[in-house]
Amino acid sequence: MLKNISNNISNESIPYLFLLPCLLILGSLLSVPLYKVFEYSLYDNVIVQKDPTFVGLQNYQEILGDIAFWKATLNTIIFTVGSVIGHLIIGTGLALLVNTDINPKARTVFRSLLILPWILTAVVVAVNWQLLLNPFGIINYGLDKLGLINEPLDWLGDPSLAMWSLLLISTWRGYPFIMVSFLSGLQSVPKELYEAAELDGAGFFGKFWHVTIPQLKPVIYGVALLDLIWTFQLFPLVWLTTGGGPGRETEVLSTMTFRYAFVNFEFSKASTVAVSILIISAAFTIFYLRNEKNRI
Amino acid sequence: MSKIDIKNLVKSFGNQEVLHGIDISISKGEFCVLVGPSGCGKSTTLRMVAGLETISGGEISIGDRVVNGLKPRERGIAMVFQNYALYPSKTVFNNMAFSLQNLKINKKIIDEKVLETAKILDITELLDRKPATLSGGQRQRVAMGRAIVRDPEVFLFDEPLSNLDAQLRGQMRAEIKLLHQRLKNTVIYVTHDQVEAMTLADKIVIMKDGKIEQQGTPNDVFNNPQTLFVASFMGSPPMNLTNATIFKDGVKIKNLEINFKKSSNLKIDKNVVFGIRADNIRLPEDDESGIPVKGFVTLVEELGTENLAHFNVGDNNFIAKTNAQAKLKLNKEHFFNFNMKHAYFFDPETGARIS
Repeated sequence: MLKNISNNISNESIPYLFLLPCLLILGSLLSVPLYKVFEYSLYDNVIVQKDPTFVGLQNYQEILGDIAFWKATLNTIIFTVGSVIGHLIIGTGLALLVNTDINPKARTVFRSLLILPWILTAVVVAVNWQLLLNPFGIINYGLDKLGLINEPLDWLGDPSLAMWSLLLISTWRGYPFIMVSFLSGLQSVPKELYEAAELDGAGFFGKFWHVTIPQLKPVIYGVALLDLIWTFQLFPLVWLTTGGGPGRETEVLSTMTFRYAFVNFEFSKASTVAVSILIISAAFTIFYLRNEKNRI
Repeated sequence: MSKIDIKNLVKSFGNQEVLHGIDISISKGEFCVLVGPSGCGKSTTLRMVAGLETISGGEISIGDRVVNGLKPRERGIAMVFQNYALYPSKTVFNNMAFSLQNLKINKKIIDEKVLETAKILDITELLDRKPATLSGGQRQRVAMGRAIVRDPEVFLFDEPLSNLDAQLRGQMRAEIKLLHQRLKNTVIYVTHDQVEAMTLADKIVIMKDGKIEQQGTPNDVFNNPQTLFVASFMGSPPMNLTNATIFKDGVKIKNLEINFKKSSNLKIDKNVVFGIRADNIRLPEDDESGIPVKGFVTLVEELGTENLAHFNVGDNNFIAKTNAQAKLKLNKEHFFNFNMKHAYFFDPETGARIS
């Protein structure tokens, strides 16, 4: 009997044994920094001061009372939601286009070209768009030649244009992920459903609304949530294009964290903002994981 | 209800011609079954009638209209797909109502039509459910309901029963037949199952390699097969077929000579394929008429109402139908009576029937 029990225990523990190395590595790499960031947020100023003082939740109180934090939060929401909507619209449209029944070679070329923005690193994307959107860049030149503008626009420097420009860059950079995900979803939609809809008298939009969207719904939901999580934390694209400016017009929580830490050297405040990002991201992640669990 | 005329229908994929001039004329209210092995072009023909495949050549008319250039929704047809193609996100009600909703018909009329159709098919209690929660048979009924609710001129069925188990298939087959008797719509039905074809059809079109082998009533194609392929394809068990030679007094199968009064078309010394159905090989106790032939029994399949006895005559295997009580001993010789009035002869090279 004892032998049986020990057998059962060892059988049950085998899966956990396989997970152990992964859990150990992830745990040590994640838990220590996470704990440290949280700890820093409870001190007056760590790293730059030799003997920082424990101040409890004072940093949180200060941050929550700071207009700049709320402005950055609002900007983060605008940037995240705007980007995800942009990704979804452009990604869906292009997925439908590259899924059409055209010459297979042409289709492969289009698919490869349209994935390119995803392959480029954020730094390359940021530098390229800076050059393109420069007052003396090609976009202003083109618009001027077309007679659409009288004088060059400072796309990244004008407070009324900076967020829109940032959304344009983010949309360009992020749509391929949605496109690729939707494309694989589209390819798994049974052809007969479109044929049945065709016979039932549905036009292009009818088929899109009644067949494509319901079939892609689980993919749309999961991918949009994942995109939301990633975009919410996005740092390099914003920092390298507008740097959060002009003024604080495009400051998002991630650039605010960086500014506190490596410009102002206020590491505790940076940690406090980082913890707030972590809490919101964790909420999204839990939501995403629940969605994935329901799908399975 | 409309008649359908298919004239010289051709389909090519690139340089590959897969349908080589199909001619079928289906009368108003007729139940026409296209039957043949996989790849014979029956589904392609059906899809061309539906408008889901382009037409490379020829003409399709539904009623008095040539429909070649019309979109599927403009052809007055409804189709039941092999895998049902129900919209997974819609309830049974909305699956059935979708075509009417697209026509912007009054909601009250849609409700009435869907309910009426649901009653006919006995699926009223399923109307609020989604397709994923239905059994295969229920899905099949919903798919038919979706087609019926539109009151189309023509019904198209693309192997609608092939995903069902044998028992349900038999049941649904009878239901489709009853439904046709009630609604009297013109039907084109595609299947590879010759039993389905025989039981459902007013007219059977047997296809092979993109051509029509024979068309006619079930009785006609069964009793008067015009080609070797039709003879071998129609009927279960399939017709007994073997190479033979004609001699003065009958037909010679290797060393076995079967004497009978042959027609003048059967020239002496001509090589033929000799065919006879299992129904026409009986035990002497079942039917005394016919030419007795001694065979070596290798297998007996008991079907309940009758038995199928497999026996060898020399190297040739034959199947005979016997009464269910017949006690045939395996690996023993028995006499079987060949009813040569129902023997068939085919040209081994062209496959054409020699009458």
